[in-house]
Amino acid sequence: MDIGDCYVGWATDEDIRTRGASGGLVTAMLAAALEKGLVEAVVVLKKLGEFEAVPIVTSDPEEVKAAAGSMHSVPIVLSRYLEYGTKVALPAKPCDARATIEQAKRQQVDIDTTYIVGLNCGGTMHPAVTRKMLETVYKLDPEEIAGEEIDKGKLIFETKDGEEHAIKIDELEEEGYGRRESCQYCEINIPVMADLACGNWGVIGDLAGKGTFVEINTEKGIKILQNAIDAGAVEITPADDKGKAIRAKVDGAMMKVAAAADEKYLAPIEGSHLDYYMNALADCINCGACKAVCPVCACGEGAKCTEFSSASDTYKMSLFHLVRFVHLMDSCIGCGQCTDVCPVDISLTHIYQRFARPMQEEFEYKPGMDMTTPPFFGVDLLEEGQ
Amino acid sequence: MNENIFTTVCPGCSIACGMYVREKDDGTIDIDWRKDAVVNAGKLCRFGVRLSANLKNATSKVDGNEVEFSDAVTAAGKAIGDGAAFVSVGNTTCEEHLALMKLAESKGAVVNTGMGAFASIPAECHPTMGVGVPLDAIESAKKIVLFIDPYEQYPLLVRRILAAKKNGATVTAVGWKAVSLADENKTIDPANYGSELALDSDSVIIAEINPSTDPDRVMVLLNLAKATGAAIMFMKPFVNAVGCDLASKKTEQKSLDQIIAEINDGKIKTLVCLDSDLIEIMPDETAVREALGKLDNLIVITSRASAIADVAKIVVATEPFYRKAGTVVNAEGRVLVGSGDGTDGIDAVGTLIGQPADLFTELNSAVLATLGIDVVDERVVPAYEKPEYGAMDANPTAEAVETALVYAGGPFFWNGIVDDNDFVEMNLDMVTANSLLKGIPVKLTSDKGEVVIKYKVSDVAPGVVLSNAKLPMTTGMVTSVTVSR
Repeated sequence: MDIGDCYVGWATDEDIRTRGASGGLVTAMLAAALEKGLVEAVVVLKKLGEFEAVPIVTSDPEEVKAAAGSMHSVPIVLSRYLEYGTKVALPAKPCDARATIEQAKRQQVDIDTTYIVGLNCGGTMHPAVTRKMLETVYKLDPEEIAGEEIDKGKLIFETKDGEEHAIKIDELEEEGYGRRESCQYCEINIPVMADLACGNWGVIGDLAGKGTFVEINTEKGIKILQNAIDAGAVEITPADDKGKAIRAKVDGAMMKVAAAADEKYLAPIEGSHLDYYMNALADCINCGACKAVCPVCACGEGAKCTEFSSASDTYKMSLFHLVRFVHLMDSCIGCGQCTDVCPVDISLTHIYQRFARPMQEEFEYKPGMDMTTPPFFGVDLLEEGQ
Repeated sequence: MNENIFTTVCPGCSIACGMYVREKDDGTIDIDWRKDAVVNAGKLCRFGVRLSANLKNATSKVDGNEVEFSDAVTAAGKAIGDGAAFVSVGNTTCEEHLALMKLAESKGAVVNTGMGAFASIPAECHPTMGVGVPLDAIESAKKIVLFIDPYEQYPLLVRRILAAKKNGATVTAVGWKAVSLADENKTIDPANYGSELALDSDSVIIAEINPSTDPDRVMVLLNLAKATGAAIMFMKPFVNAVGCDLASKKTEQKSLDQIIAEINDGKIKTLVCLDSDLIEIMPDETAVREALGKLDNLIVITSRASAIADVAKIVVATEPFYRKAGTVVNAEGRVLVGSGDGTDGIDAVGTLIGQPADLFTELNSAVLATLGIDVVDERVVPAYEKPEYGAMDANPTAEAVETALVYAGGPFFWNGIVDDNDFVEMNLDMVTANSLLKGIPVKLTSDKGEVVIKYKVSDVAPGVVLSNAKLPMTTGMVTSVTVSR
C-alpha cells in the first residue's frame, strides 16, 4: 500500500455496512482506530434528529458506529473540537480538513497525531433552509423525512413510507434553497489534503452503493486504513481505471458548477466599495459569533480585532470587521460558518472571500491544503530592498 | 476531556434562543450553536455567545459561610415562616416557579412575578400582554412599529424585522434612539399614536413589559392594538417571564416597587427570591440594597452567582439553568424543553413543603395541563389571538425631563453584567452644548451622586443620555442628570 494508491473498500460488519454511507468504510475505519488504540478519541456527529447533530469527542467505538451515515443538513466544521495532544481521528469534509491543517499551523492541533479521514463533499445545507425547502418546494412534512442523498445532480429525500422525492439541485438553488452559498462556489470537492480521500464517486459495477472509493494521500492514511484491515474491520480491492476516471470526471463537473456560482456570487462590486461594505455590515450587533465560530481563528480574547474595536466606537464600519477581513485574507477557507451563525444574517463568508480570494490567487496559495505557511510571510523585506 | 452536552435555551431574554451548552468535567462550559433550533436557527446575540464567560455558578451559604446544599435548605425551612414574601420574575422553569408557588401557598402567600403592569391592568388584557405573535408572523407583517430598540434589547428580532422589510414591510420606530433598520424614526405623544402610526390588521406592534414599565403606557398600546386591529407583542427581559406569568395567573401580584416599599414599611420581614436578583433588576440599586438590609431573612434560591447572593442570609444554590429539567414558554407562546434533568431547586422546595420525592413529575403534569398540551413540541406555536378587552383610560406619566439618563435595557443590563456596554450615548448637540471632548469621559451628576463614563455620539433624542449599563447614581429607569466634562 503506497501513497497515491486508490481502492474500493467496505466494512466487514453487516450492521455498519447497512447503516453507514457507501458500505460503511469510514465508520469501520474510525471505530477500528479506537478499538486498536491507534487513536484515543474520534470526533463525530451524534445524530439528534434528521436535521440535527452535535459534534462529540468520543472514545467509545459504539458511539462512532452510531454516527454512521451522511448528514448534509448539518453544516458544522469539526476541527474546532480537536484538542492538542490527543491522538484523534475525524471524518472530514474538505473544509474540516483544511481548517484542521490551518489550526495545526497555529499549534492548536498536532497534525502528527491527528488522522484526517477525508470525505468527498458536494456541499451542505442549513437545516432551517432545508426544512423550509421541504415544506414549500417538496411539499413534504420535514418530520416525515427518513433519509436524504445527493445523486446525479439531484437532492433526494426519502420519506418514512419508503417513497423517494427528487428535485434537481440547480432548480432548488435558483429558488434560494439547496446548498449554502459558500458550498455552491467551493471548488474543492475531493479532500486531497486529508490523509485519506473517501467517497462514492468512482465506485462502479457490483460495488456501486456498497463500497467507498478511497485514495491514500499520506503515510497516516496508510496507517489508519491498514489498521482497519488488520483488525478485520474492512476489506478493500484496488480501484480500476474506469472508476478513477469517473471520479475525476465528477470532480471536474462539480468544479465547473462551482466556477459558475463563483461568477454569480462573487462578481465585481459595482459602485462604491465603501458603500457596499458599509451597507453589508450596517446591522451588525457586535456579537462576536463570527470570530467565535471561525475554525481557522486561533486568536484568543486579546485578539487584534477585539482589542482595536469597541461598541462605543462611532466609526462607519467596525474595526472588528476590518481587522478580521484583512487578518483572514491568508487563511479564510470559505467554510460558511460565520454566515450560518450571524444573528442578523450578514453574508460574512461572502465578504471574507471577497478579501481573501484576490490575495490567495495573487500568491497562488490556498490555505489548508498543506502545512506550507503563507508565502508572503517568507518575504524578507530587507532582501527585497523595501 | 469528557463533556456533557445540554440542549437548552439562552437565559438572556424571552426569545429563548436554542443553543447547546458543553459542560466539561472540570465544570467549565462552552456554548455551541444549535442550527436546527426553530426559534433562532442557531444564531445567538452577544449575550448568548458570551454566556460561558459571564455565567458563574452559585454556592450555597448560610450567614456568609459556605454550606452543603441540604444544610442551606434546612436553614431556609427554619427561616421561611408565615408572612414571607416570594418573588420569581421568570428566570427559571415553569416547574420550579410552580414549586415556589406551592411553598408560598403553604405560607398563605403568592409568588410575585414583579411585573407591575400585570398587577395594575385588568386580567382580561393579560393574555395579550403575555403571549405575542409567532416570530414567523413578524416576517409577514406589512407594517411594524417598534417601541423597543431591537439591536440593543432583543437582537434576535433584528433578522425577523429585516426579513419583513425584504417582504415589503415598512418599519417605524418610536423611542429614544433612531433605529437604523427603521424606515422612519419618530417621537410621538402617546395621545397621537392612533393618528400618526396608521396601523391596521396587517400591522405588528412590538413593545416591552419589564418590572419598571409604566402600566399606563402598556394600556395605551393595548388600546392602540384593539382600536386598529394590529397584532401586538410585548417582549420580556426574562427567559420564562411568559411561562411564569401563565403559571401565576389569577393571583394578586405586587410590583417590585411595592415589595420594596413594604420591606421599608416593615410589613415584609422575610423575602424569598427565586432566580430573581432585585439588585440587578431594579434601577435604583442603592435603594434596593438598603431595603434588603432591613429584612430579617433574605433567602435566595438561585442557579447563578449574582449580587443578591452576596447579601443574602441564606443562599440555596441550585444547578445552572441549562441543567434544569422543565419547560419554558417564550415570547411567542412556544413551549420549549431542554435536555437537562436537574431538579435541585424543585427538590429543595419539595423538602420545605414536606414532599421531597417526585414533585417534578407532578409539577410537570400541572404545567402541561395549564398550557393545554400533552407533550412539548417545540415546532408548535400557538396562533395569535386577537385582543378581547375594552378600551381603558390611560394617562402615561411624562418620562422626559430636561436632561435625563435613560436605561435602554437589554440582556446584559437585566443580568447586571458589564460587557461591551460600559458607555453612554448622546447626540452631538448635547456633546457640543456641554463642551465634551473626544476620547475624554463624560461626568453625569444626579441628586444621588456622579459617575464618569465613556460616551458615544449617536442619534439619540434631545436631552437623553442613554445607557445599557447600570450606573450607581440613578433613581429609576429615567433619572434627571446634568452633563459636564
